[in-house]
Amino acid sequence: MSTVQVEVQGLSKNFFDQSRGEVNAVQQVDFECRRGEILGLLGANGAGKTTTLRMISTVLQPTSGTARVLGHDVASEPVEVRRNLGFYSASTALYPRLTARETLTLFARVNKYPAERTKSRVEEMIERFGLGEYAGVRIEKLSSGMKQKVSIARTVVHDPPVLIFDEPTVGLDVLNALDLQKAIQELREDGKAILFSTHIMSEAERLCDRIAIIDKGRLRACADLEGLRAATSRHYLEDIFVHYVTSHETPDQD
Amino acid sequence: MNRRTVSALVGNDLRQLARNPRVLVFAVALPLVIWPLMWFLTSLTTERRQERLESRTYTYAVAEDPRDAEHAANARAWLERALAVVGEDGQADEADTPEAPAVRFERVDAPDDFKAALDEEQLHVHVAWEAGAGDGSNENVDVDSETLGNAGDPAQRIVLSYRADLDASDAAEGYLRRALERSRVEVREKRLAAAGFEAPPEDLLPLERIETASEEQTSGLLLGRILTAIIVMMMLAGGSIVATDALAGEKERGTLETLLTTAASRIEIVTAKNLSILTVAFATSVLNIANIVLWMQLDVIPAPAGLKLVIPVGAAMLLLFLYAPAAVLLSSSLLLVSGRSKTYKEAQLLFAPVMLVFLAVAAIPVLPGIALRSAIVVVPIANLGVAAREILTGQYDWPLIAAAWAVAAAAAAVLARASVRALSAEKLITASDLDAADLTGGPALFPRRVGRWFAALWALLLVWQLNAGGGIDGRLLIAINMAIFGAAAWLIIARYRLPVRETLSLRAPPPAAWLGVLIGVPAGLLLADGVVRLASLAMPIPEEWIEAMAEAFGADVPVWQTLFFFAILPGIFEEIAFRGVLLHGLRRRFGPVRLVLVAGIAFGFFHVDLFRIPGTSLLGVLLVIAVLRSGSIYPAMAWHALHNAVALGSARIEHIRLPEQPTWWHYVLATLAILAAFRLMAGPFQSRELR
Repeated sequence: MSTVQVEVQGLSKNFFDQSRGEVNAVQQVDFECRRGEILGLLGANGAGKTTTLRMISTVLQPTSGTARVLGHDVASEPVEVRRNLGFYSASTALYPRLTARETLTLFARVNKYPAERTKSRVEEMIERFGLGEYAGVRIEKLSSGMKQKVSIARTVVHDPPVLIFDEPTVGLDVLNALDLQKAIQELREDGKAILFSTHIMSEAERLCDRIAIIDKGRLRACADLEGLRAATSRHYLEDIFVHYVTSHETPDQD
Repeated sequence: MNRRTVSALVGNDLRQLARNPRVLVFAVALPLVIWPLMWFLTSLTTERRQERLESRTYTYAVAEDPRDAEHAANARAWLERALAVVGEDGQADEADTPEAPAVRFERVDAPDDFKAALDEEQLHVHVAWEAGAGDGSNENVDVDSETLGNAGDPAQRIVLSYRADLDASDAAEGYLRRALERSRVEVREKRLAAAGFEAPPEDLLPLERIETASEEQTSGLLLGRILTAIIVMMMLAGGSIVATDALAGEKERGTLETLLTTAASRIEIVTAKNLSILTVAFATSVLNIANIVLWMQLDVIPAPAGLKLVIPVGAAMLLLFLYAPAAVLLSSSLLLVSGRSKTYKEAQLLFAPVMLVFLAVAAIPVLPGIALRSAIVVVPIANLGVAAREILTGQYDWPLIAAAWAVAAAAAAVLARASVRALSAEKLITASDLDAADLTGGPALFPRRVGRWFAALWALLLVWQLNAGGGIDGRLLIAINMAIFGAAAWLIIARYRLPVRETLSLRAPPPAAWLGVLIGVPAGLLLADGVVRLASLAMPIPEEWIEAMAEAFGADVPVWQTLFFFAILPGIFEEIAFRGVLLHGLRRRFGPVRLVLVAGIAFGFFHVDLFRIPGTSLLGVLLVIAVLRSGSIYPAMAWHALHNAVALGSARIEHIRLPEQPTWWHYVLATLAILAAFRLMAGPFQSRELR
């Protein structure tokens, strides 16, 4: 099963900034992500990972190029794209005054999940993520680990085929981060296509089926770990990453 | 739009609010207590003060002037008489009040320094008898048996000294003065009778007043003046509770990005936010009004005098319909402010000026003499306010009410669209939402700012023309208007470094264009006249305006001056501003049809008088086409100047007259002539919009 769920072609984004002038945040990025696959976007801070993922989630508009989610174009069918997408990042917060159950119901409805199945789906999520005893407690009263679980449940409550995790482990302690990684792996087992961005090498190494190395807005390489090792004749991902980033330092003068 | 999504979002907003006890207490519950309490305390203290003033004893002293004991005696005699009146009825001008206030006056010895005594409140009024220019010994025939001094001497007077800033002193002076005035009237009447005036004074010119306005109309005027402002204030106060949180708060907490990555469309989110704002605004307004009415019913707080809070059902329904676009306008603008603010705090900061602007506009119905049938009909909110005032006094000017509603609804639609755009703006998520034009500025930025510039120019002209009124010479008025247009055009060109030649289309037109102008002018005049006739069915041209025009172009102004000020100057400066700068700015934003309509009608709206807008809009449309066809501004300048000259000439010269009663074929011919004129104008520089 290697159905392409996310397809990105020549995607570029230019910003204009008062102090820096024109900034090419993302330039000519191509990749695709299949069903049951975790594609890791690996890059330093400011490399363009978040901008790329936000373009796929239709929050930002591409300057040029296209991105498709299940064949829906992000520019012309943004609502269809978002309906098939779950977006999770450290900056996507929850409403503090809702309970976990209310949160899940709200996002199932807003994401147009079929009305007759909403209630059972919400209960299913509560059980799956172990929210049982806390389902009726307001989010503001939950621990950060519980909040994170509600957040993932919120991301997948409408059962989207594509999931985007934008630096999800930022700010989490080791145990919570491992929990999250486990949850993401389980979602892969469910057949989701998962885009996962990180700047942590070990995380990418452990979790991702394929790794796309992004540097200064450009895609430097995109392959599985073996492929990257073969191409660079280096073993550790850290060395591979440094190789790609440094070898492009000079020609980047266009 | 998905109703389930919208209702889920509205439900969420309301739930957030309902679970925020701090906001509920401070923004909803507290005002419910404070307003009636303030009202109650105000009326209570006013009542108490009145009671105190009416039941106390006031002290007065009469100046003892050793040089003129006789005058002092006179003063005392007058005073005693007056005080007898006070004893009967303290409020002399409200005779026959059933409960006479128990005001008592007590005489004290005249102090040495009466000012100090007044300061220290040992004394409330000081009375002196001031001799006039006459010698005072001139004894007239005293007709009053009580010998009330020499009141016949016109130069003598009683001087009352008091302190206006001290409550008791001020009140005492009032009672005493009214009593003195009344006794003066009585004495005068007695003397008149004694001098042989036979008719009883009360039969002389009895005056009766009948007000033909019904109670509803009087009360309606009172209510109509303030109703809009009250409603706007309540809606803003209630709406801002949700609006601050709606976008700015969500942005700050990070829930906005969560929401924007869901399948809810931007329109669904904006609709839901607007509905949440409106729901809370409406609910708090109803709560507040019900609260006040309840306390009034319980007689805890008094209803304002003369105000009957009964509105006929028909009028109430109409008002509700009328206020609907205003409500959307308010909630959309609150949402827009919230969306454009980076933080909750910034949103709160920006709400204050927005509220002031809306209140200022909503308070316009208070101003006397502003009728709906004026330029006010194009000012959203203010137009609904004036319409509401007229409706409450029983005036139903249907075409103008419809126009006011349409203007407000259009403004609401524009703002609603702007708030949808604000939600799509990337600034919501990222730090920067600028593009190349924002950074480099200059010509690329101007098309985006042209609307703002001309809106500001319109407001400036409106304020200036409304204030200039009729007292100014027509030539001066037009010269100043043209100077404003010229200055604005220069300012815009300089600010955005616009290329002058291209902006103003300063190119040689094809020679045939001049022939086109000669054909176009009379045809255009006829068509414009037709439009004015058509529009006058709904908006008759006011007589005053025709008179003012006749005066402005009267025979005492030399012909060359009339031509210079009213034809040549507008032909140059209005063309530079409208067919030059405005058209240049709008060109890249609209397709040909909308460009011609928007640029043309915008020109019409600058002719502040309502009834002039249709005719001048047509002229604007024709001139825009002339510029686009010929690629040059010069034919439009010539057309405009000739148009004005011929229009003025037809008013002054018998030979230049439009057909008195044009028939349909006049208009068909004119339209064909205009089309032929435009055909002649096509040249090498014809704009690509019209190719």
